[in-house]
Amino acid sequence: MRKGSRWLWAAALVAYGFLYLPLVIVVAYSFNDSRLNAEWVGFTLDWYRKLFADEDMLAAAGNSLLIALAASLVSTVLGTMAGVAMYRYRVRLLPVLVLTPIAIPEILMGVSLLIFFVLLNFTLGLLSVALAHIAFCIGFVAIVVRARLAGMDESLTEAARDCGASPARAFRHVTLPLIMPGVIAGALMAFTLSIDDFVITFFTAGAGTVTLPLQIYSMIKIAVTPEVNAVSTLLMLLTLVLIVIATKVSPSLFRTASETAP
Amino acid sequence: MGRRRAERLGKWLVSGPPLLYLLVFFAAPTLIMVLASFRTPGEFGGLAPFIDEAGKADLNLESWTRFFTESIYLAIFLKSVVYATITTLACLLLAYPLAALIARSDRRYRDLLLLLVILPFWSNFLIRVYAWMIILGPNAALARVVNGALAMFGHEPVPLLFSSFAVLVCLVYVHLPFMVLPLYANLEKHDQALLDAAQDLGADAWQRFWRVTFPLSLPGVYAGAALVFIPALGIFAIPDILGGPEDTMIGNLIKQQFLETRDWPFGSVLSIVLTVAALGLAGVAALVGRGGARSGAPARA
Amino acid sequence: MKKLLQRAAACALLLATSAFGADQLHLYNWNNYIAPETVKRFEAQCKCEVVQTYYSDNEELLAKLAAGAKGYDVLVPTSNAVQALIKGGQLLPLDKTKLPNTRNVDPAYLNTPFDPGNQYSVPYAMSTTIIGYNDVKMKELGLPTDTWAVIFDPQYLAKVKGRVTVLDSAAELFAAAFKYLGYSANDTDPKHWDEATALIKKARPYWAAFNASSYIKELTVGNIWLVHGYSNDIFQANQDAQAAGRKFHILQGLPKEGAVLAVDNMVIHKSAPRPDLALQFINFMLDGRNSAELTNLIGSGNPNLEARKVIKPELLAYPAIFPPKEYQAKLEQLHDLTPAQRRLRNKLWTEIKAGR
Repeated sequence: MRKGSRWLWAAALVAYGFLYLPLVIVVAYSFNDSRLNAEWVGFTLDWYRKLFADEDMLAAAGNSLLIALAASLVSTVLGTMAGVAMYRYRVRLLPVLVLTPIAIPEILMGVSLLIFFVLLNFTLGLLSVALAHIAFCIGFVAIVVRARLAGMDESLTEAARDCGASPARAFRHVTLPLIMPGVIAGALMAFTLSIDDFVITFFTAGAGTVTLPLQIYSMIKIAVTPEVNAVSTLLMLLTLVLIVIATKVSPSLFRTASETAP
Repeated sequence: MGRRRAERLGKWLVSGPPLLYLLVFFAAPTLIMVLASFRTPGEFGGLAPFIDEAGKADLNLESWTRFFTESIYLAIFLKSVVYATITTLACLLLAYPLAALIARSDRRYRDLLLLLVILPFWSNFLIRVYAWMIILGPNAALARVVNGALAMFGHEPVPLLFSSFAVLVCLVYVHLPFMVLPLYANLEKHDQALLDAAQDLGADAWQRFWRVTFPLSLPGVYAGAALVFIPALGIFAIPDILGGPEDTMIGNLIKQQFLETRDWPFGSVLSIVLTVAALGLAGVAALVGRGGARSGAPARA
Repeated sequence: MKKLLQRAAACALLLATSAFGADQLHLYNWNNYIAPETVKRFEAQCKCEVVQTYYSDNEELLAKLAAGAKGYDVLVPTSNAVQALIKGGQLLPLDKTKLPNTRNVDPAYLNTPFDPGNQYSVPYAMSTTIIGYNDVKMKELGLPTDTWAVIFDPQYLAKVKGRVTVLDSAAELFAAAFKYLGYSANDTDPKHWDEATALIKKARPYWAAFNASSYIKELTVGNIWLVHGYSNDIFQANQDAQAAGRKFHILQGLPKEGAVLAVDNMVIHKSAPRPDLALQFINFMLDGRNSAELTNLIGSGNPNLEARKVIKPELLAYPAIFPPKEYQAKLEQLHDLTPAQRRLRNKLWTEIKAGR
């Protein structure tokens, strides 16, 4: 190990500690024998039992997962395209279109999308929520992908083109592996944003659509019980497992340039 | 196909879909609300009919003049900028070592370490904030330690919960991954050879960081800063749940317009000002950064 | 390719859910505002499915409907929101012939200024906005618990500095201030509004927070000792405190100056897909036994006289849940304001919240 990396380790551990302290509490309190998320009373598995009997909560969790997977996939694809377009082709309109959804207050975006969908007579439901999520996630992916591209060596792509590769092949075999960490980072952000979104989802959800945040936030004035901690813990575990499986099943998809280079 | 034509086709194939999607599902709805800022609020909520009984279109500058003539909105806006700036800087300080560690770690562990950063954020936002309420509560360990220390200096106990401190800690917590991920994406591609060369030339650890790593990571820093500062500026849930009586941010104000005063036009005005200001600040920072980077950075990797 | 798959999946899902559509009642309600047994009983009776979605604030409901959302059958807004919905033409008039159980309701809660003749709404459940307190702490500090002064008067507040919260609602806080100053909770005189604002600003430095969402937790565990809050929540807080074995009780304090009464009502949205099921449901909920189940669950007030026979006797004894006749005269329901009045109130509220 190089000199000075001890400090790096220490600082990084502090950051990890900061990230995980609340999470430890979240998981621990899912076993708390009290309706409130406020103080430790005793140990119980009741909340997990309650969760498995609570069809509504489970359905909401399923919806959230489905929407998040769909929205993050589509927004990653579109966001990567936008990031590449902004960097390589300098399309003027894109930076504004991509950054503004990040800046605009969620309430405004939620209300405006609802009005828009109503004007088009578009039935609200899971699809309207997914479409809304994609709209605000694209920007996050695009910004990260563009930052990854910045300072990248164009000569590699030029070389590929000189060797006769079409733009598509040059992209798939040269550019994409080089930007893959940025794409993955963007996808992770999009997934995170989608699975926990409340305001925009509230306005664009249909009369029978419940996602986990909608379910949970409606409890805010009464009591956010440890059942929520339980469903969150399980959701985190489930997502982690899904991602680990995905990386094992299609490792080529996630291989970065440093791994494919000869 | 000629090289030029291939390039142009490529340009539209690549930029077309995201452009189209955002124009339809973002620009169009937003323009509806931008137009709303020039209309009057409905009697019982929403907006007044666009064409009133006299057949005239309902367009006026009432809401805009209100914003510019009452200074209190500017004051709250400035406070939000301060909070967002502190949040961004704190996130940068915490995220940089973390991103650097992940970027330099062994290939086998890199993905896992990255996932570990984002994992906590797949739990629900509310219970994470509640966890902070538990950590910062007056009877919890942290508060007792801090107030015990303060008591030694004869200072009155200070509330950690329902205060600006609580709001800032939570703001940093909630936005941290959005600084870590872009930084990581950038740091990951840094060539170790450059650092080795610098070391061979006699640079110590700090010099290697400040004159090689940091300038090269600037695009990542700016991306992360944008993805933290801009959303943090408009947040309202955190002050609502654990803020003190004076921790109102511009996001709270905007929410009130839609969900208490039912003044959608004024809510639109505030939103537009916030958006333009956020983008403006981000743009200025990018310009400054680009200038700085050009003058200080070494040749490309 | 990925996009195509996603679109196909979404279409399949949409088709699947719409095929289910047949006999569904869409109920848009507050969370935990109907007992699960009641829902199951209704589903068995009507051979239909009750699809519940939730909101946590009247204004959320109003904003969503104002933007044009459709698909809801039954809504449960508070009286002032009912007023706004009626005036905004959002509700379907009720077919009284299908609601014979309306005779179960206490006439005192029928035929209100919000909805003369109950053309659009029937009362469902109610709560009062009062003082909640930690009995041990209040006794220790020698503070009164039957007056708004303990929330507004610095001489009392000094003893509980940093341990008091008030609701983060301009309507509720101004109403409490008006009551304390001796005015009507629905006072619209700008001079009185300035008076109330000054009162609030003087008391603000002693308050820990303006909070409508997490104050009950803090009260229950003893971090906060005094709140301006809703009777249902304060009742629940005590249940939780006793369940956790705490050494104190969370009690409801009825201020002698009066308080706000919030009556939640059942209404039918104008574009309800199944108004027939909606009417069936409303009549069902007006039955004494069904109505009582909610009160027994969360300690909410109940305007249904038939329900009183089945409500737990200890709940009937709570004056904040079932106010005695003498106190009923001091309770007022909040009225909806005009846009100009709302703007003025928001301006004052912004000053208060900005620390000016």
